[in-house]
Amino acid sequence: MITINYFGNIAEAAQSDSETLDLKSVSLEDLLSLLDTKYGISKFQFQVAVNRKIISTKQGLSLSDRDEIALLPPFSGG
Amino acid sequence: MKKVFLEGAISSAFIADSIAKHQSKHSIGAHNIFLGQVRADEVGDQKVVAIEYTTYEEMANEKLHEIREAAFEKFDLTCLHIYHSLGTVKVGEICIFVFVSSPRRKQVYEATEWLVNKVKEEVPIFGKEILDNEEHQWKVNS
Repeated sequence: MITINYFGNIAEAAQSDSETLDLKSVSLEDLLSLLDTKYGISKFQFQVAVNRKIISTKQGLSLSDRDEIALLPPFSGG
Repeated sequence: MKKVFLEGAISSAFIADSIAKHQSKHSIGAHNIFLGQVRADEVGDQKVVAIEYTTYEEMANEKLHEIREAAFEKFDLTCLHIYHSLGTVKVGEICIFVFVSSPRRKQVYEATEWLVNKVKEEVPIFGKEILDNEEHQWKVNS
């Protein structure tokens, strides 16, 4: 199970703060493409965190069971 | 892990109490405080009436811990406190409180500015600006 957390305008588009997908292993690229099909996330600006660390989406990462992914729109604290 | 996130606005009583708690720390010679207040920005014909804050709390706490550690290495500080609101904060209310203390004055100004910038740039907090017609937009830091 891979957990995906959504925030800000992406949580609105997904109509959820979080979901788990029953995937054993998947590349980050394929996951993002799947989420784009479901929620049209490519129209938003966001960073990706894997297990709470921001990572480059260009590095061809493969995700494994129990990874926690987050799609993070631009931060706007303060 | 120090508690940073508070539900709702940060009250002046909470801020006053935080200052009072430092009277027993006698190596301190200077405090500096930054308070961020929700501003009634104009958005077309509408005005912002409140901001609703959410966060990715586990990641935010990890990041805030790193920022605190880095601040103590970079500046000569006795202590520092960061508080940020979650949930609804109305216009005119306080949503962030950064409080830096040091033996001497010069470091506290620099440290406060550095900390506020780090929190805004690196901590996953999201502000939803509520407008007076009940619509909303997502806050973008400038």
